[in-house]
Amino acid sequence: MFSSSSSPPWLRTVSLGVGAILASVFAFILFSALAALLRGVEWEFFGAVWSPREEKFGLLPMIYGSLILSFSALALGWVLSLGCCCTLRGLGPRWLAKILLTSLRFMTAIPTVVYGFAAVFLLVPVIRSAFGGSGFSWLAAAVMLALQGVPAMTLTMDGALQSIEEQTSLTAAALGLTPVQHLTWVVLPASKKWLLSSALLGYGRALGDTLLPIMLAGNAPQFAASPLESLRTLTAHIGLTLSTGAGGGERSSLLLAGGLLLVNSMIVSLTARALAGRGPAA
Amino acid sequence: MRKREMSLLLLSRLSALLVLGVLGGLLAFLISRGGPVLGKELFFGDTPPLEALLGLRPVWNGLWPAVAGTLFLLLLTMAFAVLPGIGCGVYLSCFASPREKYWLSLAVDLLAGIPSIVMGLFGFLLIIFLRRTLLPRGSTGMLLAAFCLALLVLPSLIVATRSSLEALPDSLLLAAEALGFSRGQTLRHVLLPAAGQGILGGVMLALGRAAEDTAVIMLTGAVASAGLPGGLTSKFEALPFAIYYTAAQYADRAELDRGYGAALVLLCLSGGLLFLSWRLQRNLERRWKGVR
Amino acid sequence: MVKKLLSAVILLTLFGFSASASPLDPFRGMKGSLDIAGGTAHIPVMKQAAQNIMTFNPDIRITVAGGGSGVGVQQVGEGIAHIGNTGRPLKPEEMEKYGLVTHPFAIDGVAVAVHPSNPVKALTSAQVADIYSGKITDWSEVGGTPGAINVFGREDGSGTRDNFTEKVLGKQTIASSVNVVSSNGAMKTALSRDVRGIGYVGIGYLDDSVAGVTLDGVEPTQENAAKGTYSVVRYLYMNTKGQPEGLTAAFIDYIYSPEGQKIIEEDGYIPLPRK
Repeated sequence: MFSSSSSPPWLRTVSLGVGAILASVFAFILFSALAALLRGVEWEFFGAVWSPREEKFGLLPMIYGSLILSFSALALGWVLSLGCCCTLRGLGPRWLAKILLTSLRFMTAIPTVVYGFAAVFLLVPVIRSAFGGSGFSWLAAAVMLALQGVPAMTLTMDGALQSIEEQTSLTAAALGLTPVQHLTWVVLPASKKWLLSSALLGYGRALGDTLLPIMLAGNAPQFAASPLESLRTLTAHIGLTLSTGAGGGERSSLLLAGGLLLVNSMIVSLTARALAGRGPAA
Repeated sequence: MRKREMSLLLLSRLSALLVLGVLGGLLAFLISRGGPVLGKELFFGDTPPLEALLGLRPVWNGLWPAVAGTLFLLLLTMAFAVLPGIGCGVYLSCFASPREKYWLSLAVDLLAGIPSIVMGLFGFLLIIFLRRTLLPRGSTGMLLAAFCLALLVLPSLIVATRSSLEALPDSLLLAAEALGFSRGQTLRHVLLPAAGQGILGGVMLALGRAAEDTAVIMLTGAVASAGLPGGLTSKFEALPFAIYYTAAQYADRAELDRGYGAALVLLCLSGGLLFLSWRLQRNLERRWKGVR
Repeated sequence: MVKKLLSAVILLTLFGFSASASPLDPFRGMKGSLDIAGGTAHIPVMKQAAQNIMTFNPDIRITVAGGGSGVGVQQVGEGIAHIGNTGRPLKPEEMEKYGLVTHPFAIDGVAVAVHPSNPVKALTSAQVADIYSGKITDWSEVGGTPGAINVFGREDGSGTRDNFTEKVLGKQTIASSVNVVSSNGAMKTALSRDVRGIGYVGIGYLDDSVAGVTLDGVEPTQENAAKGTYSVVRYLYMNTKGQPEGLTAAFIDYIYSPEGQKIIEEDGYIPLPRK
């Protein structure tokens, strides 16, 4: 609108200040993580065993836990979101779409900790009695993470699909396509990029979430092989381990965990930007 | 009908019903367990409400300290975040040169993606660092938690301000220029008032996020038992932390019931904030874009 | 008659006040805040003491946080808390690094615990060690109803865990599949909800929702812990950076006072006299 020289000076100062603070957050965490990595060469941070008693501080189980948990939650959540989105975009009756939209909007307001709280008393006992195990498991955390991710993913998809639908609706109607055909054969294939970027959004949020894994996943530092086993994510590891003595391998490991999470979120954000930069805007 | 259409139809119906069903079940469960305990007792325990509200008598066995802690925390977070958030949004949409725009919006995007536990970790590292250098007496507490929460919600404030301003029609700007307004005047008297509702909506959204976040305050000063918030640098109780804590360890039935009550209260708080935000932003769109 | 009764009541109240208020007297006129963090076995005692003190004098703020013994050492050492609680003795390097002074105030045993409906009421240390190291995975192997054992442990840095590991597991390594909970309270909650669970808690946390298991023929009670027949025993400590002063000192005095000792007993621990 205006040029930067016409800006009130304080506004410019504030904005650049914000930029500087943001940059320093990144620098601070990345620097700490790097320092921890250099200090802890003998602690084998990328080893497979976490056992502080034997001076083994392997983060691999947590990295594995974070990845499989977020991918499984994403897979489940993304499919659900796609379904919900199709309902919103005309595959379901109007009244259902209306209720669903309101519900999804409401769901974005549900605090994560409330999801976790309800799941501890509803979902965990169900899993325990139905499948055995303690119930605190990969499965419990994945289901709740998926559910938590649905509203944001659906609403993103819906926005994109809506604009593509508007762009193509005349042509589709002229071709005699029913709304279902239009959605299935025209809109969805055309919005691949947006479906992908909503998945990216979901992945970033699932990987970064702390409360659901720490409350539901059981937190055992192992390579869970079945969905009923307990696992520990990097985020939960930070929450659990911040407690231990300063300077030791535990502290360094959690600094490194923070750095890994940050790098991951940066990659996600940059990829999302690159995706959004190309092609027609939604 | 082809196979693909059928399966899509099936999927859509199935997931809509599943999501609605689970949501309904979850709400019914929370309301049925938390509803009956809602009341004076839930907030104030056996302390007379008036004396508790005035802080004359401490509250045991009630949510009031946690509620007060959360409200105080929100206030402080906004004190940190509102000016930089809105200022930065205005700058981005109205004044920034293309290069500044690129870098600043990149920073905002990156910040928006940071997991909140990492922000909490940042706060914790920051206070340790400050103790070794400038503030040997510094400690985790309300101020630090609010600062980290402010960083966490800054992106949503900036984005909301920016998109509210960018949603305004060009005619508004042209009219102001034609009237001979200076840029500062245009901004202050035309653009900001016009986008005000949207910006306010952004503030509500940020409040909602700050109210529900647990991971940040877990690392920066929330504790299980503290009484009413005692000042800027003291540790505090907060609703989301109380819920987290209760889920893991309730001593008896009464404490568990309080947990359900707390979950319901927090849900209402963040639901209310989100609803307000949504209404405000919709009003803005209706007014300037003619979107119904 | 009425007058007599009234004066008796007044006398009684006065007397009652002066008698019960005496351990709290040092707090009169005090102001400020006291932050306590660390060991989770300590929390019930700390909370009750804090409640009594804050009710007596609302100008005082006492915050109680958990986190485990590791947090206790770290936070008091870094000066983030005034009192850091541990369920294990301080390590020499911790004392040296931070200049900590330690105040043991109670004895607590660590009990192996299961769900009350679990038929297994007794185990040997060797069996427990095998369960935690993953060699025994089914209840039928220790005489219970067949079903997988859900093993719960505490986080690294927990004093309860250190004590348990040292005295029961010995050299055995804990299997990585053990579920981790982060406080004594959370352990109790987890076990009370899981009929196939096993875990360990401070004896003070045992009640009708979790059952202590007889270990090597000795029942986990505070009496046996005090007598020394039950061997998995530790002291509970408060730690301060340097000698305590002001509010911190008053709080520690209060814990050692008869009223403090009563709180400790009510929470299921055995009070220790001041050294």
